[in-house]
Amino acid sequence: MDTNARRRRVHTTVEDTEATLYNHDLSLYPKFPCSEIPLSEFEELAIDRVQLFRIIEQASLKGHKYFSDEWKKCIKDDMMKNNLKKFVRLLSGFNGQTELDIQARRADHISHFILRIAYCRSEELRKWFLARELEWFKIKFVSNSTPSILKFLQLNELNYQTISNEEKEDLKESLIVCTPGMNDVQVMMSEFYKVPFLDVWTLVQKRRVFLKEGYAYIPINDLVVSIQSTFRTTLSSKLVLMNRNLPNLDDERLSNLLCNLHQAYTGNEYTVSNDKDAINPADIDEYSKKHYPLCMRNLHETLRANHHLKHYGRLIYGLFLKAIGLKYEQFIEFWRSEFTKTMDTDAFNKNHLYNFNHQFGKVGKRVNYSPYSCMKIIMSNVGAGDAHCCPFRHFDVGRLRAKISECGAPSEGVSEIMQLVNNGHYQIACTKYFQYTHPQPSSNTINHPNQYFEESMNLVKDKTEKIVS
Amino acid sequence: MASACCSDNEPAFTEEYLKNIVPYYTKLMPLPKLYEWFGYGNPEIFAKREISFTLSNDVYIRYQSFDSFEEFFNEIKKKAPVKIDIGAIYKTKPKIKALGFELTATRKDLVFDIDISDYDDVRTCCNGAGICNKCWKFMAIATKIISAVLKEDFNYEHILWVFSGRRGIHCWVADRHARELTNEVRSAMTEYFNLLKDGNKTKKVVLTGRIHKKIYERAIKIIDEYFMDILEEQDLLGTDLRLRKFLDMIDKGVRKQFQKSMTAVKCSVERWEAFEQTFTELQESDDLKTLKEEIKLQYTYPRLDVHVTRSLDHLLKTPFCVHPKTEKICIPFEAEKVDDFDLEKVPTLSKVIEELKTYDEREDTLPLGLNDYQKTSLTQHIELLERFVNNLEKDDKMKY
Repeated sequence: MDTNARRRRVHTTVEDTEATLYNHDLSLYPKFPCSEIPLSEFEELAIDRVQLFRIIEQASLKGHKYFSDEWKKCIKDDMMKNNLKKFVRLLSGFNGQTELDIQARRADHISHFILRIAYCRSEELRKWFLARELEWFKIKFVSNSTPSILKFLQLNELNYQTISNEEKEDLKESLIVCTPGMNDVQVMMSEFYKVPFLDVWTLVQKRRVFLKEGYAYIPINDLVVSIQSTFRTTLSSKLVLMNRNLPNLDDERLSNLLCNLHQAYTGNEYTVSNDKDAINPADIDEYSKKHYPLCMRNLHETLRANHHLKHYGRLIYGLFLKAIGLKYEQFIEFWRSEFTKTMDTDAFNKNHLYNFNHQFGKVGKRVNYSPYSCMKIIMSNVGAGDAHCCPFRHFDVGRLRAKISECGAPSEGVSEIMQLVNNGHYQIACTKYFQYTHPQPSSNTINHPNQYFEESMNLVKDKTEKIVS
Repeated sequence: MASACCSDNEPAFTEEYLKNIVPYYTKLMPLPKLYEWFGYGNPEIFAKREISFTLSNDVYIRYQSFDSFEEFFNEIKKKAPVKIDIGAIYKTKPKIKALGFELTATRKDLVFDIDISDYDDVRTCCNGAGICNKCWKFMAIATKIISAVLKEDFNYEHILWVFSGRRGIHCWVADRHARELTNEVRSAMTEYFNLLKDGNKTKKVVLTGRIHKKIYERAIKIIDEYFMDILEEQDLLGTDLRLRKFLDMIDKGVRKQFQKSMTAVKCSVERWEAFEQTFTELQESDDLKTLKEEIKLQYTYPRLDVHVTRSLDHLLKTPFCVHPKTEKICIPFEAEKVDDFDLEKVPTLSKVIEELKTYDEREDTLPLGLNDYQKTSLTQHIELLERFVNNLEKDDKMKY
């Protein structure tokens, strides 16, 4: 696939007004963008921001401590790798006023609003979006210098009151003991702001702030907590409001993109190419034990046990098999031999053959369908009797626990995985599962069942290559 | 959710209790004032507040709500509950829950619950549901520390302390700001408060950079008013077992020295003095940090039942209920006078009914026009409630 095509941008001219509209890297996005935008750019910006947010999400899931230097570096590196230079620009801390800076802020602004529309539709989506927006805001905020932050406060009419020198002198001792990460000199050198404690309750929870009579006293760096809290409240209510008004948005070209954005997959497509090594159908049972992710292993085992899968099970497992290199004839034979254990060949040919041919792109629209990504599987509806699912997301706790230990995860691994599941980190749980059932961890967070399979196979290949050489 | 608090096999209610409870509700319990408070002066708010009853046959009725005082009052008279709990104010009237609607809690007073039974690993005078004036000192410390934090750190002023009728105390914070706190923030506040780690660790308090000096120094100051008394009354170090538990809290590197000096003497006070002396001696060479404070805090810092505070929809017993087991009335008390609180003198159901009867049978019933409760020992406690509710209403009007 030509991945660059999507990136080729139509140059948009910057109007005078944009220079004033986009004068700071930090924004709380108070105003809707009102300019014309080509559909292609609309789509591009939407995907870019989704990708940006996934990068941010994965950095902490990769085990980097939240807002540590490694965490920030990991995000920047991934952004560079994924061609998100314009967003990297917003982290420079210089707050430049060149055309490139303004373009970057424009992209930030517009993509924010596109995602608002896409992510207002359910509680789950809103939560994810809100969390990422707040993280993105904070990354930008902490990259800024003090003068630049002051400028931002002024531009946004955020009137935080600093305390007077006399008040600081009075509270000196308390400020020093209660403000982590600052010594006496630093406390005396920096400005302190007085905010209602509710605005910074996360600091209160961790006892990282000095409280007096309902007010919290914070240095400029902690202001971000308070601004985030305001940002969260406004954005959260705007999302709810937008959701109510969404039916009015009646444009098919947009609604298709917007409704599927969260499932949009931003990595390798894993569609079949001819250079792929063919796999031997006889190896499938063994592969399912050694190299399959849990979701596919579950589908395979269900198929072997029941000699049948329901529609989405057939589709998801079929596309996976195709992508790991099962050839067409073997693919049909694989399904036929299993299904005909409970039905005769005629029934199979009549009821199912077309469907499998369609999956392989042999009939109908003849599309070379891509196999399902993790996000698509996680977000799919799983009904009674369905075997397709993300076990980390859809299995009940007891069943999942039993299954992963049955599959060879050691007990400390099981509890670590269950903890991740508990916190809703299904893909990271899967990544950990990989780590505990393989000699070494996967090189990336698991995003796709076929990625899991390939990484797992690569470990075997590496080993055999080493033995051969 | 709040369930009947004890399932022990004590006898069910005495005949006298069942005979007295309805007259108590109708004549003595300050239901009109409570009604004012729970609706914050607004009947429409009260109509959305969850009221639950525990009946004498142990049936527990949740999600009731009442559209008017009369309805509330008549239902109490009719059902004669042995316990009345107050819950949150919901978006819609909680009684629609019965029709299958989901409820969303929006507001409730910020509440704290401390049970003396959570101090069972420290106190030696009683255990379980038992409580005496000696254990009350733990409650006094909790009252003072929590009051200080609420006022000095959070600026709350409408605070009502209530004896829960048997083994603990409740604290109600009714400031408008406090009523509107979300579950998240309530939970965050309990973490701000809590210095004791959960679990079976021998050392439950570790003061590190994260726990500011300000919080624990203020607490220690209050604790020091009581510590030596508690040490002596509870005989905290009086047996080998208790001493061993104490020594377990001390770092292995220096434990031997403490053990030596402390075992050389016998009684609790002497042993503590030996500890302090060794502490001073060792302090020069070893870094003992805040060991002494940590030990004091572990013994006496308030032990909150955090679940009660954390969630909006948690219920709590209404002040002035009669505890079904002890027949003691859940009376409010003044935090400043917590030291004078005498468990023996808490009015009981039979006592106040008797007081009322005696008064009414008197020849001279002057002055005329007294409320029924004014004829009993409930007077000062009801006046306390009235002051609390009146101040709250005044403040609500002034500020909002």
